Amino acid sequence: MIGRVCAAGSFSPYAACSTLRLVIAAWNPWQPEITDLIVQHDPQTLERVPVGKQQVLNVFHKFGNRQALRAVEALPERDGRLDAHAIDRLLVTVHWEMQRLSEEFYHGPRVHELLRAVIAAIRSYGVAGPLRVVDVGCGIGYNIRWLAAHTPLPAQGVELAGVDLNSALINEAARLARAENLPCQFVHGDAFSAQHSGQIYLSTGVIHHFRGDSLVKFLHRHDQPEIHAFLHYDFQPWFLAPVGSWFFHLLRMRTAIARHDGVLSAARAYSASELTEAARSGAPAFVSGIYGAQIWNTPAPRVFHTLIGVRPSLVKELRLQLGHRAQRLGELR
Amino acid sequence: MTLFALYLLALLDGLLCGARVSMGRCALIRKRRYYLRNALYGLIGAQVISTIALLALLLAVRFSGHRGELRADLKAAAGRMLWIFVPYAIAVVGSLMLRVIPSTDLRSATSVFALGPLSAIRSLVMIVGVVYGAAPSRLAETKLFGAFVLLLMLSMETVLNFLAARTQARQIGDLLSERPS
Repeated sequence: MIGRVCAAGSFSPYAACSTLRLVIAAWNPWQPEITDLIVQHDPQTLERVPVGKQQVLNVFHKFGNRQALRAVEALPERDGRLDAHAIDRLLVTVHWEMQRLSEEFYHGPRVHELLRAVIAAIRSYGVAGPLRVVDVGCGIGYNIRWLAAHTPLPAQGVELAGVDLNSALINEAARLARAENLPCQFVHGDAFSAQHSGQIYLSTGVIHHFRGDSLVKFLHRHDQPEIHAFLHYDFQPWFLAPVGSWFFHLLRMRTAIARHDGVLSAARAYSASELTEAARSGAPAFVSGIYGAQIWNTPAPRVFHTLIGVRPSLVKELRLQLGHRAQRLGELR
Repeated sequence: MTLFALYLLALLDGLLCGARVSMGRCALIRKRRYYLRNALYGLIGAQVISTIALLALLLAVRFSGHRGELRADLKAAAGRMLWIFVPYAIAVVGSLMLRVIPSTDLRSATSVFALGPLSAIRSLVMIVGVVYGAAPSRLAETKLFGAFVLLLMLSMETVLNFLAARTQARQIGDLLSERPS
């Protein structure tokens, strides 16, 4: 009945209901994002594994998410499996587009504001040697490339590295860094492995991808003696976030997947209490809290908030280094 | 003077359209030259459209049986259009100027709350402006000319967007085909 009303193309409450259901189904936070499913890696070897298109479709069928179904149905396949080359092209396109979000939200300066203070606190604690900043799930490496291009960090002995499981995105990040001669590196692999590990970990829009226990497990991986701090930036959930995100993505994004996943990211984002609870349970050797939740000390929330974790010995100096911005730092414990 | 003001607004629109369609299509960090180049393409597009519109205008006046009346009617329509286009342009340029203030929150806010919605309503503003200007005109030529210019202005962003998308698809295709799979 609803399908017939919609097909007729005339406005009716049934059609409006159907549209609303479609929208809400696409915002259901219990479902994965399309990009979580269309690229899969072997957890042991980190090699890319083929993905069956029907398997992906089945997931979104279960949630009645027609927006996602349409986007996935449009993806090229070979013998029932998603065409890996076409998916890579799409992912690069989506990440180029998503970089615009970081640019419009001045994400580079926001990361630098906190990272600079964290590094200064670590230095003042007596760590004089090289420090390595690792961006986990860096995609095409906007944060790391921005820091390399606009800050004196590399000249101050801070090594900037981006790590991602997706080799197409890492290759693109490395190509972009080479094109601008930026002092940073990008590697394909596990960010926490002995080979790629660092002293400060950061990420943007990554932690909401870890659902359930895997968030605590992810944060637990920071619990290594050489790690001094972590800064994880993600969407801040509040009741208008999905609507705002939908409007922003509608205006700014061109690909169906970016529009879908961008809004779903906002719907799936963790609250401050969920994040700090997970950090305190997963990485108890750190004190953790939220940075930059509100705009100018008003109740208005920022689009992104930051889960920050530092060694307890760094807290006093970190507040000092933040100066007047220390008021943006919530309770650390 | 009125026509010249419309011409300047068309150039400004072209400049911003060129920059806008190029956004999200280049992932470099330093891309001032990229944006300038694309804004220039938009400016050239607007100049081409303005030239076509001017030629159409001259032809219409040349072959009209009531030149004086048509000229006055066109001028009055253009004057009315400015009542819509000038405030819109002020809102856009004003939002851009706010970004000079070095506050990341303020800059983000202009992007989300002003420039995004303002660029989203561009087509609507074009239509409203032309309808508001040309609808009260006494001559059919003025209304036809208004519709023609509207069509040109609306098609400009589509064409620029198509060209930018094609360039981007080629670039991504090239760079992925260079790599081992």
